Amino acid sequence: MTPLRAGRWLAAIPMAALAVATVYPLVFTANVAMKTRHEYVLDRFAPAEGLRWDAFAAAWSGADMGRYLVNSLVVVTGSVALLLLAGSMAGFALSRLRFRGSRVLFLGCLAALFIPFQVIMVPLARTLGQAGLVDTYPGLILAYTAQFLPFTVFLMTSYYSGIPAEIVDAARIDGNSLYGVYGRIMLPLGRPALLSVGILDALFCWNDVLIALLLMPSAEHRTLMVGVTALRGQYSADIPTFAGGVLIAAVPVLVLYLFFQRQIATGVTAGSTKG
Amino acid sequence: MPVGRRPPPAGPAAVGTAGGTAHAAVRTAPGRRRRTNGRFARADRLAPYVLVAPAVLIIAGLRLYPLALGVNFSFTGDGDRNGQNVGLDNYAALFDDPLFTASLRNVGLLVLLLPVAVAVPGLLATFIYLKVPGHRVYRSVYFFPAVLSPVIIGAVFNLLLAFDGPANSLLGAVGLGPIDWLGDPGTAMYAVVGVHIWATFGMGLVVFLAGFATLDASLIDAARVDGASLPKVVRHVVVPGLSRTVQFVVVTTMIGMLTSMFGLLYVMTGGGPEGSTYLPEYYIWFQQGQMSRPALASAASTVLFGVMLVVGMLQLAILRRSGRED
Repeated sequence: MTPLRAGRWLAAIPMAALAVATVYPLVFTANVAMKTRHEYVLDRFAPAEGLRWDAFAAAWSGADMGRYLVNSLVVVTGSVALLLLAGSMAGFALSRLRFRGSRVLFLGCLAALFIPFQVIMVPLARTLGQAGLVDTYPGLILAYTAQFLPFTVFLMTSYYSGIPAEIVDAARIDGNSLYGVYGRIMLPLGRPALLSVGILDALFCWNDVLIALLLMPSAEHRTLMVGVTALRGQYSADIPTFAGGVLIAAVPVLVLYLFFQRQIATGVTAGSTKG
Repeated sequence: MPVGRRPPPAGPAAVGTAGGTAHAAVRTAPGRRRRTNGRFARADRLAPYVLVAPAVLIIAGLRLYPLALGVNFSFTGDGDRNGQNVGLDNYAALFDDPLFTASLRNVGLLVLLLPVAVAVPGLLATFIYLKVPGHRVYRSVYFFPAVLSPVIIGAVFNLLLAFDGPANSLLGAVGLGPIDWLGDPGTAMYAVVGVHIWATFGMGLVVFLAGFATLDASLIDAARVDGASLPKVVRHVVVPGLSRTVQFVVVTTMIGMLTSMFGLLYVMTGGGPEGSTYLPEYYIWFQQGQMSRPALASAASTVLFGVMLVVGMLQLAILRRSGRED
């Protein structure tokens, strides 16, 4: 046991160093955001001379980040709502109902999982453009929904497969239609899975830049992440403000992570172990 | 990282008797159906289709149909020859384009670096599983960058890796450098891939830890009681028990490298310097968004899809194989 214990302490050293390396880039950025430009030029590493929020305020108003934040919130909320609704309905039907074609539909979803966005982005942009949906909220919401729906359907199908069929039968005997079973039984029962997959979907949509860049070209419709990519050009000579803007965009994810770390990890590991 | 392409082990279980009874009633006793459960019978036959309709329409219309459209599109021309059939001209142009061949070479580099990207989280997860001091904290800390947008990570590392930035200050303090991390064609791709691995190893770590959690602790105890050394325990008990997890991490890490580095490339290098950090996904975006050559971009998409298909088949094969092991 003793060599093993010594080994553990030995391993703890690189582990701790790596933990520092994981956190440090963000701490460094926060420190830069608290500095004046003069301080930054003089010394990059020294702690800022106090908690100064000017850079955050400057980035917020100067780079129009409030508008981008609203755009992101609208698109993410719409996409997640649509994803959870369509995903749970399909998940219920594919896991608990027997109907002609269910297997083909399930395999179709499986196939769609393997189509990366990069492969379909040209024709998708064209199709949405012909429908007049490029540079609109509904267009981006539809694109996000299409992108993450196969994953959502799979997770919900897998979750509902674990709910005993007797529960569905009992609800039917009580006089519920299948829609009633879905609305009164399956939706409430699915809450843990809906929370987990909803948070993951929200993260995917929130973090995306390629789809938003392609389908929301105008400056006023930028999502927050596209807005961040524009910061560098705007504040190339004002690094503290640049850092402040980057951190503003990181805060919502940090908060989400602090509250829902367990659900995120559950969603990420889905399918990695048997059962 | 494309978590979106991980199929959980689910199938259309089709064990629900609810829809089944409705079918039976319809087929065997059309007359009695009206009196017994006629109120729902007709609606029940339709209900499954109504429930799957939104998902099926969205997936078919905005994922499967564009795929077919894109492949078709890659055989037509750009600009003056818009809409005309040009055969394989786009593919010929593609492989003549040094930017595209550079992007394929970079894919090769990613494949070579794959073992590193898998070994790092695997090793760290092993340490955490062995409960090194502070193991509870590490998991949360390591996983955090994995949920941040590549855009934010890229922006942060733009600061760190700037020529007059802190990374070079550190090197200078020990008498090395400075290195033009993102400005030198020889180092830029390694810098970007390094940042990608830094940002995503937490994802693999969490998957490994989930795999460790399924290991049978009594097997490990038994092996140790029988006098097996730690390396032997790892080799003969831990690794076989984790084979599915390892394969899962390999495939998802590869897919992540092929399809989720756009944000980093866009923010950190813009494909440069001298086109040294192009990947197929960046090439597609460049041809479509910047050069207005959608047909050429479609051809590149089709090539990328071929690469992804191989990875996807690999994943299916793994799922099937592990299904047999169960």
